[in-house]
Amino acid sequence: MAYEDKTFKTKRFQVLAEKPVNRHSYLKDWPEKGLTAFQGVKDPKPSIKIENGVVVEMDGVARADFDMIDQFIADYYIDKSVAEEVMAMDSLKIARMIVDICVPREEIVRLAKGLTPSKFVDVVTRLDETEIMMGIHKMRARKIPAIQCHTTSATDNPVQLAADAAENRLRGFSEAETTVGVAPIAPFNAISILIGGQTPHVGLLTQCAIEEALELELGMRGMTTYAETVSVYGTERVFADGDDTPWSKAFLAAGYASRGIKLRFTSGSGSEVQMGYADGRSMLYLETKCIMITKGAGVQGLQNGSISCCGIAMSVPSGVRSVHAENLITAMCDLENASGCDQIFSPSDLRRAARTFPLVIAGTDFIFSGYGGVPNYDNMFAGANFDAEDFDDYLVIQRDLTVNGGLVPVTEEQTIAVRNRAARAIQAVFKEFGFPEITDEEVEAATYSHGSKDMPPRSIREDINAAQDMMKKGITGLDLIKALIKHGFEDIAANLFQMMKHKVTGDLLQTSAIVTAENQVLSAIGDMLNDYRGPGTGYRLEEDTETWEKIQRIPQEIDPETYES
Amino acid sequence: MQINEQLIAGIVAQVMQELANAPAASTAAVDYSKDMTLADKGPAQRGTNPKEVVIGIAPAFGKTMNYTIKKLPHSQVLREIIAGIEEEGCVARVVRVVRTSDVGFVGNYAAKLAGSGIGIGLQSKGTTVIEHKDMTPLTNLELFPLAPLVTLPLYRAIGRNAARYAKGDNPDPVPVILDQTVLPIYQPTAVLLHNRETSEVVFNAEHRDVEFKFSN
Repeated sequence: MAYEDKTFKTKRFQVLAEKPVNRHSYLKDWPEKGLTAFQGVKDPKPSIKIENGVVVEMDGVARADFDMIDQFIADYYIDKSVAEEVMAMDSLKIARMIVDICVPREEIVRLAKGLTPSKFVDVVTRLDETEIMMGIHKMRARKIPAIQCHTTSATDNPVQLAADAAENRLRGFSEAETTVGVAPIAPFNAISILIGGQTPHVGLLTQCAIEEALELELGMRGMTTYAETVSVYGTERVFADGDDTPWSKAFLAAGYASRGIKLRFTSGSGSEVQMGYADGRSMLYLETKCIMITKGAGVQGLQNGSISCCGIAMSVPSGVRSVHAENLITAMCDLENASGCDQIFSPSDLRRAARTFPLVIAGTDFIFSGYGGVPNYDNMFAGANFDAEDFDDYLVIQRDLTVNGGLVPVTEEQTIAVRNRAARAIQAVFKEFGFPEITDEEVEAATYSHGSKDMPPRSIREDINAAQDMMKKGITGLDLIKALIKHGFEDIAANLFQMMKHKVTGDLLQTSAIVTAENQVLSAIGDMLNDYRGPGTGYRLEEDTETWEKIQRIPQEIDPETYES
Repeated sequence: MQINEQLIAGIVAQVMQELANAPAASTAAVDYSKDMTLADKGPAQRGTNPKEVVIGIAPAFGKTMNYTIKKLPHSQVLREIIAGIEEEGCVARVVRVVRTSDVGFVGNYAAKLAGSGIGIGLQSKGTTVIEHKDMTPLTNLELFPLAPLVTLPLYRAIGRNAARYAKGDNPDPVPVILDQTVLPIYQPTAVLLHNRETSEVVFNAEHRDVEFKFSN
């Protein structure tokens, strides 16, 4: 609460104090502790020294004094062939090149390979909010933006999850992320959205955020197609608290890559100061190190934009701008960027919009990571910035601005059809493997439900036992495909099989991969690499006539020709 | 030691009685930074009394910080936890953990020092955990992560449950109030308080026994 329990003498102050904007707290910068957007007392000055192809000094620290993060960045991020050239350039000049439409994206990507963490911060903090968005518009990796959702259930209900994943795909989401209310149910949540997500058509990438070893196993078993919750941090102390190093995270990443599973890391402003160990360094400086660790580890992408520490970053001056700057740095590193906008940080509709719409307009690889595909009471990621009750606002704003924010209007009839079919598919799979019965009543409820409150009660204890049993028996994604075929869901089975094939061919390992409804993998290579060079170039919704037509035709639109009067 | 504890419990009960009888205006005027003394008694040793529950307080508790994030005075929070432990016939010992501000580790160190093997970790912002000495620091018997929702009666219940574990019972967990919307509201203040606490951390410092005294 901004004013805690303070009461006011004047009615206007009292009215203002009770507005949603004051249900968040605001902090003055505390640079000594790193509770500041980009002005930590111990943020170093940019520098680099290279001898015999080895970085011997970076940002004022000699190699002998590097911590493990400095060493990882110096050895695996910094491109020694360009570092001296770009570090000698004026930061203002680099900042201007970012927004200059005459300087192509690949030139910025080349130069960014030689920037140190401090130099990155020095460059991007010279950009104002509009310029940051111009930078993101140009530097985004994939030509077409996309959007990810959270598909979760407060009761971990498999039927509801399957139906919601189907609806989420129908609405245009390219990735769906689930997690759990109770941990041991994870394998069921994973297969519920896996199957539901392939129901309207092929292509929804799905993941289940859970403890790292189980998450990897789910991927290797074919129960997920991507992973995201592999966290990296900007100070050694916070990294070590999680018993991790940049090397251990890189090793985990290699595990995913070995099976063709798409992976991005996760980081975001505020995590270090939240743990009390920012060491007097600003949120943006430390986040920049996380971005560089990700690139150094050879991972294709990163989820950032403060993520679960959003409430902290947004409490200090320039918080939103600084978080957008971290998205820009990610794009400059030629990484796929899932740009946050995910965790709720304020109940103020105006602040939610102000934090989000610049990124919708600029377009990122995944504008949300994710958008709440269910109502917030079902959101097991601690509540989303935008949720299922904001779908229509979002659709109308896309239409207002001629912007492809990733969603398309759907009709109630289409939605009922895919929800019902997904619910029946998961019902059949449960029957095939002898899992706890999914009744016709549950299928019916899931078809028409808004959230878990509309679902009949179900024994989570029995589902947990069956989920554990499924893991013990070694059931894989291929077994699910066979079960779907056996029970007359050949179309969903075929779609699921296509997703498996994409993993085998390694197509999902390319930067920013998504799969279209036509089973085409779009990633930031060839003609799908962002080629924005100013007006008339890059992705333009009006030139994507099919999508623009869909975005315009919201179901509540009145046709003046046929309007009854 | 035992006598001392009982004596204090008696004083506490008396104080509580007086507090209950005191007029509201005077309680509002109490300076809670002064109504509790926590005196250092030297390095903490492993206890031998199987009824002993150790309350591990984080580095700044009742020292440079005096209120939880919900603005509950540390003196009252500590009193309630101790009262809960004693209600179950167990004995409370307070130990200050200085080497970490992480509630899981504070609780785990406390558990390892307790004669019963049960410890409570208590951060200045009010985040609390019940730990068993053989659990890894990131697991726990009960965790109360959302300090803004923990009230004085709940702190008492936490003390009671810790004592029940110490006696070998398997109590129903204290109901955790979960309201995800409080997270963003309190996150900035939580970070402020946690950084204040972490400022008091001394690397590898030993755990210290603390003698507690409540003065009103």
